[in-house]
Amino acid sequence: MERLSLEQLARLVDERPTPEERAMLDADPGLRRELDALRAQREALRDLPAMLPPPDSWPELEEKLVTEGLIRGSRGGPAFWRKWTRIAAGLVLFTGGTAFGWAAGGAPAGPSDGLAAGSEAVGIETVSFASLEEAMLAVQEAEQDWATAFAEFRRLLGTQSERELPADPAVRLAAIDALLAASRAAVEESPADQFFNGLVVSTLAERQQTLRQISQANWH
Amino acid sequence: MYAVVRRIAGDDDLAQDYAQETWIRALRALPSFRGEARFSTWLHRIAVNTALQAVRKAKTRRMREVPLPDVVAVGPQVGDVLLEQKLEEAMDKLPEGMRKVLILHDVEGYTHEEIGTALGVTSGTSKSQLFKARAKMRRMLRGFETQPKEVEAWSV
Repeated sequence: MERLSLEQLARLVDERPTPEERAMLDADPGLRRELDALRAQREALRDLPAMLPPPDSWPELEEKLVTEGLIRGSRGGPAFWRKWTRIAAGLVLFTGGTAFGWAAGGAPAGPSDGLAAGSEAVGIETVSFASLEEAMLAVQEAEQDWATAFAEFRRLLGTQSERELPADPAVRLAAIDALLAASRAAVEESPADQFFNGLVVSTLAERQQTLRQISQANWH
Repeated sequence: MYAVVRRIAGDDDLAQDYAQETWIRALRALPSFRGEARFSTWLHRIAVNTALQAVRKAKTRRMREVPLPDVVAVGPQVGDVLLEQKLEEAMDKLPEGMRKVLILHDVEGYTHEEIGTALGVTSGTSKSQLFKARAKMRRMLRGFETQPKEVEAWSV
């Protein structure tokens, strides 16, 4: 019987040994030590620390993003970025709400077009961070904000599951009003911003559609 | 995100290029992000795909002998630093195919099916490359033992 090779032992880090392999391991302490070492190696790889890019890499990236037309000139710091991401989170939720609107009462006449236009206008208003690390932290915070916004959206809709959206347009209206207030606040802060203005217009259109649904429901 | 790009690139300069490309792609794709996955997961996938594509395109592969000169490791224990450095060095010396699979599976926790999709290979090839990579790493690290965190039964 041939001794287990290192590659075969490497497989046994994840997989159960065959009876034959088990017998070989039982009989050979050296093989067991190698297997333990391979397992320790995998654990050490799994525990490797995160790495950050060199601290001076942000300005170069920022310049590249500006050149690509993905961001515009500096206007504010992380606080502005956080506000923007909240609105972006609202947009994501709102888009989901539009899909719900279609499912509940037929496709709305205009809002989806407005949303698309709003999305195209997303030239991301900057972001001026001292380092990439700071920017990454802001992204992490934005993710938490998104989760919070999503939980709030569910609460407003009074549902526990994404698949159980209520068919009540009045409940939906409350959620839309919350988004409208947020997007109007953003426009007050940045009156010339195409994205925020587009978002307000789209939200208003969606609100009107929902009001129409409520009105029809009351009529019938 | 930077860590996986850096490890796949095996080089700081390339890693910075790939990281920048990742951000550009992510910002371009942002309007299509609908929250089906966590944002960090979504960004991580873009980073992996960007780095893999870039490495695939690279015609020449440089020998990587100088490890991690400019990279800041986050929060390692003092006693682990040398081990981490040895691991990074050994990974950088692996042949490219093995290195990518080892990073994606053992460091990043991808499944063989996910790796197969990302690399355009079968999950069997991914497994085979992984076992070879682990064995090669073990040979390179022999004499510099990685200590198990706790005594672990050898049998599964």
